Amino acid sequence: MNLKSMKKKANLATIYIISVAIIFTILIPVYFIFSISFLSTREAYQYPLPLFPELRSKIKLENGERGVLLSIYDKRNDEYETLLDTTDFKKMSTYMRVNLSLNYTPEELEEKSKLLLTQTQVVFKAGKDVMHNYKTFFQVTRDAVPALIRSIQIAIITILISLSIGGTAGYTLARYQFKGKHTLKFSILFVRMFPGVAIAMPMVIILANMGLYDQPLGLSLVYSIGSIALTTWITTSIFLGIPVELEEAAQVFGATKLRTFINITLPLALPGLAASSMYAFLGAWNETISALILTQFKPTFAVVVYQALYGSTGQVNLTAAGGICMAIPTLIFTFIIRKYINQMWGDVSV
Amino acid sequence: MSKEQSIKRRNWNQIGPYLLVAPALIYYTLFWIRPVFKAFMISITDASGHLSLENFRLVFQDPTFIPAAQNTAIIVIFSVTLEFVAAMALALLINRKFKGSGILLFIAMIPMALAPVALGAMWKTGFTTHGWVNSFLTYIGVLDIGEKIIFLSGESNTKNLILIILIDAWQVIPSMMIILLAGLQGLPKEMMEASYVFGANRWTTLRKITMPMLRATIQTAVILRLISALQIWLTIVMLFGFGRVPVLLSRVIYYNEEVPNLANSFRMSSTYSVVIAVIITIVAILYLRVSGAFGRKNGGESA
Repeated sequence: MNLKSMKKKANLATIYIISVAIIFTILIPVYFIFSISFLSTREAYQYPLPLFPELRSKIKLENGERGVLLSIYDKRNDEYETLLDTTDFKKMSTYMRVNLSLNYTPEELEEKSKLLLTQTQVVFKAGKDVMHNYKTFFQVTRDAVPALIRSIQIAIITILISLSIGGTAGYTLARYQFKGKHTLKFSILFVRMFPGVAIAMPMVIILANMGLYDQPLGLSLVYSIGSIALTTWITTSIFLGIPVELEEAAQVFGATKLRTFINITLPLALPGLAASSMYAFLGAWNETISALILTQFKPTFAVVVYQALYGSTGQVNLTAAGGICMAIPTLIFTFIIRKYINQMWGDVSV
Repeated sequence: MSKEQSIKRRNWNQIGPYLLVAPALIYYTLFWIRPVFKAFMISITDASGHLSLENFRLVFQDPTFIPAAQNTAIIVIFSVTLEFVAAMALALLINRKFKGSGILLFIAMIPMALAPVALGAMWKTGFTTHGWVNSFLTYIGVLDIGEKIIFLSGESNTKNLILIILIDAWQVIPSMMIILLAGLQGLPKEMMEASYVFGANRWTTLRKITMPMLRATIQTAVILRLISALQIWLTIVMLFGFGRVPVLLSRVIYYNEEVPNLANSFRMSSTYSVVIAVIITIVAILYLRVSGAFGRKNGGESA
């Protein structure tokens, strides 16, 4: 008995050790890209990269040989590092903004350096502009803001198309027996497995003929193909979970089929429908290949970030900020729909 | 009245379902069957509009085709094997409800949910020589201060492929573990217990009882994984560009985005995408076959 309980405890300990190992392996890369996205450019060029972004920097101004000497306190070496010697406060302000993520106007700096007439050095703590990389990413990346809006538009249209068409099909598959039902079910599964790239290429011509190439609606039509299939699968299982007796009871009391659906079935199915909308959103938001192929002057946000990343080589902190912008909505929605997550990978148990 | 109503109902039950699935069918005819047909037609039409296998000849003679196909095959075979074995081992080890299992499962979902572009950014900032991977190794003492591993030298294709497979494993193992764990927890405990009672050891029980009972889940997980492994490209392009470690899908993007103005760019990317689609279709049909989708009518097992 005693031996058994000891064995049980040892088992539990093993489980916890493995779990912690898994969690660390997953979170370390995620942590690093998150942390890097808040580094100033100066920090981003340090090696090894700082573990935590500095939130406040200690700045020192002194009289230099040419003008005012700008230094920053470096924790690692426990000493000040000299950065700039200039009389041009505009230059100094720009330098601080670009390299140190510190926002000071030339006037403020001039004001501070006036103290140097009476004292040998001016030391002050400056709060870092933590969102600096994110702002810069949106400023320097051409089209980032319109692309963001477009991506949201595309996702919303995709949700509307796939909920209305896929939801209806899902309801039918759950409630009716009809010839060809199994064929339909598995063709839908097959559509979902089919590679998007093989649809996107011919769609260049088809959408161009429809006048929808390089248009948000055109991309929504393409994303809806996979998303209708997924919505059908999810909603089938949701409607199967809602007892038919409830609907029949409502009809006994004289409600029409449509009324029963709107007043009884729909409210019960709402959480599941919300989950499938979020899948549709994620599918549209994350997708890159079709978006690359089917857009030219009106890229999606994923394409804009892809192009910024592919082109960039040095600026790791900007790269990281772009990546985080893509990841945030995904993480939020994944957290909300975590219960339904198995279906995302095509859980085929019907 | 009531007779009339019952006739109406019968009619509805016959026609209604078809009316309700009609939008989906129409949609798929317009936006799935039509493009698939069109893609096929483009691939078998040459520049002057005649039917020919010229495009396939061009693709197969593309000097990068063989390396791309080889790399894709190596990545698919090794990554899927590694991921399945590791995920299965982890799922078996933690197959128990315990405090905090919810947190573990949520965190395990993160890698699969991240956008390919976000993953690209993550590994690109990681594997540059001054990136966070080397920094992290320095902090935990694996590397001396100032020492660096050059990950992306690109000299050895084997090393590149190992890196790609490991990166893919990071993304896939956790989610595959969740799927297998869900399958394991759905199994009746009695069978395994009975097997122990009759003196079978763990390994025999696993091989003879657990794995066969988990067959459907394993098939689903592995074959869906095969399909997505055939379509890995973005992280590879982020780390190595288009040329150094080509895969089939990156060739499509290469012709479409990098050299879009060659005389046959469009036909090249189209034909490459058809080649990928054919491979995936074979895998998918194989999957539907083993999962019992075709045998169902003859009283086959329920999936």
